[in-house]
Amino acid sequence: MQLDDQEKKMIEGEEGEATRRAMEILVAKGEAEGAKKRVKIVYAHLMPPDTMFFPFGRQGKWARDLTGTLTSDLSRLRVPATMEPKFVDLECCARRMEFSESQIDEMQNIMLPAANLYEKLGVIPSYTALPFVIFPTKLGEHVSVAESIAILWYNTMFGSRCERDDGVTSLAAAITGVYPEIGVHLAHNRYGEVTIRPGKGVDPAAFNYTDWDAYSLAASRKCKEKTPVFLGLPKNLTFTQRKHLLEVIAVESGLAIMHIVGVTPEAPTVEAAFGGKKPIAEFEIHPDDIEEAYRSATTATDPKIKYIFLGCPHVTLPEFRELAKVLDGRKVHPEVTLIVSTNRQFLMIAQDMGYVEPIEKAGGIVAQDMCIAFSGTQASGTIATDSIKAAFFYTGFSSKTTRRVWLGSIAECANAAVTGKWNERR
Amino acid sequence: MSKKVIQGHSIKKLGIVEGKAVVSPDLVAFWGGTDWESGEIVEVGHKARGKNMAGKILVCPAGKGGAGDTFGFFYLYKSGKAPRAIVCNRGQGTTLAGALLTNTPMVYGFDGDVIDLIEDDDHLCIDSEAGTVTITRRETPERK
Repeated sequence: MQLDDQEKKMIEGEEGEATRRAMEILVAKGEAEGAKKRVKIVYAHLMPPDTMFFPFGRQGKWARDLTGTLTSDLSRLRVPATMEPKFVDLECCARRMEFSESQIDEMQNIMLPAANLYEKLGVIPSYTALPFVIFPTKLGEHVSVAESIAILWYNTMFGSRCERDDGVTSLAAAITGVYPEIGVHLAHNRYGEVTIRPGKGVDPAAFNYTDWDAYSLAASRKCKEKTPVFLGLPKNLTFTQRKHLLEVIAVESGLAIMHIVGVTPEAPTVEAAFGGKKPIAEFEIHPDDIEEAYRSATTATDPKIKYIFLGCPHVTLPEFRELAKVLDGRKVHPEVTLIVSTNRQFLMIAQDMGYVEPIEKAGGIVAQDMCIAFSGTQASGTIATDSIKAAFFYTGFSSKTTRRVWLGSIAECANAAVTGKWNERR
Repeated sequence: MSKKVIQGHSIKKLGIVEGKAVVSPDLVAFWGGTDWESGEIVEVGHKARGKNMAGKILVCPAGKGGAGDTFGFFYLYKSGKAPRAIVCNRGQGTTLAGALLTNTPMVYGFDGDVIDLIEDDDHLCIDSEAGTVTITRRETPERK
């Protein structure tokens, strides 16, 4: 693989140690995967270990060391970048989620300085897994993103090109501004392989947002690792519906790209989505697939709720509106903690639109710039959520977990917040 | 005693490392799938579950490569439980980045599957300059 003059300078250390290390990783990755050249990226989304991945205890210190190693003598990233949410909102909900004073202390000393460091390197402080709201890119542009739903969104919704990158690789790409031309950076790896359509008795037009999660999980179980082409979905899919449709398949399938015929830019027609080839399999999602998706995310049996966690990924304006409507004039049950997780951008508008006040008056906590999926894994007891992605995080991660999860719509979660009890749906 | 040399591709010139092989027939996840406090593979349903890679030479088809996988390898190294070297079929990106960050020799891409070529407790000598792995197997009655 040929290096140009600029890349040679980087790998020989003329641009500093952090840049040399970053280039070394990208060159080795390119060689291992048979890249013929590198492409210039226009944007990166970072997943720093010391802001997001449990920034306390031994691994918190190691995470800080890792950022130190990767950024040692770096003064600025080469491309615009955003980053993941922080682990938890220390001000408004860390104590209510039962983090100890010493953990909170450690997070103050690891998470907050790390966030400042990355901002100094040029990271736009948006702190959300929905960075495409802040930095949309164009058809054919190359990006490097370390966040499953965002990877899927940049490829699928914008037609930009992005591999499934990890935290270290996306930082290396942001430092150097380049990426090996591999995987879905190449046009011929982007075509659809299987079709997915609603079967008899499944009506996407009637879905609530959590039903889209269930559809997403059911689809991921059908297509597994094959690029799906979705047929028969409404052409006017809203932002929030797309968020839910992409959210679960993004973590469950390991896919970088999917297509929605008539909706996404590389799928104006079925033929275009498949690049002229025939699908290798055609799947339908039936009502029992949706039921099974709900069942597999529901692990609770005790109707008594301790926590309600909403906002994986971050709560959007229509979701805020729905929640505010149910909670308006009511009170969250004294034994329930309701946490609504969003980002600073959405929060500011939601406040102006009057959606936040009824939630806070009811006793709900509205948190910003945090990851409720990660921090929620440290809670104990029965949790209700509207997100299948979060539900899997809460019941996974540890074989000794005592957390049990109810899955339902925002309205069901909000009602359970008031009564303290889950009403089983089916 | 039998000896065999296989030729692969080394990610970086880091001298010669020797050690005992620990073989995982399944892909290895370093975030979640391996306990970074002990070096043990803990993933439920994994064929190498219970095996420990600390101080050994990890032999596997490849790493799995989730978003936090490079962090996992780095933490394993920080806790002193990382493998001394990695021998695998495919140079998967996150494992490669983790090995480069920690100066762990890694050799991949051989003629043949490393899972068939190497057994647990084989003595391996990794020459990361030449990209070779020398496999020495002690023939004992209980290991036929």
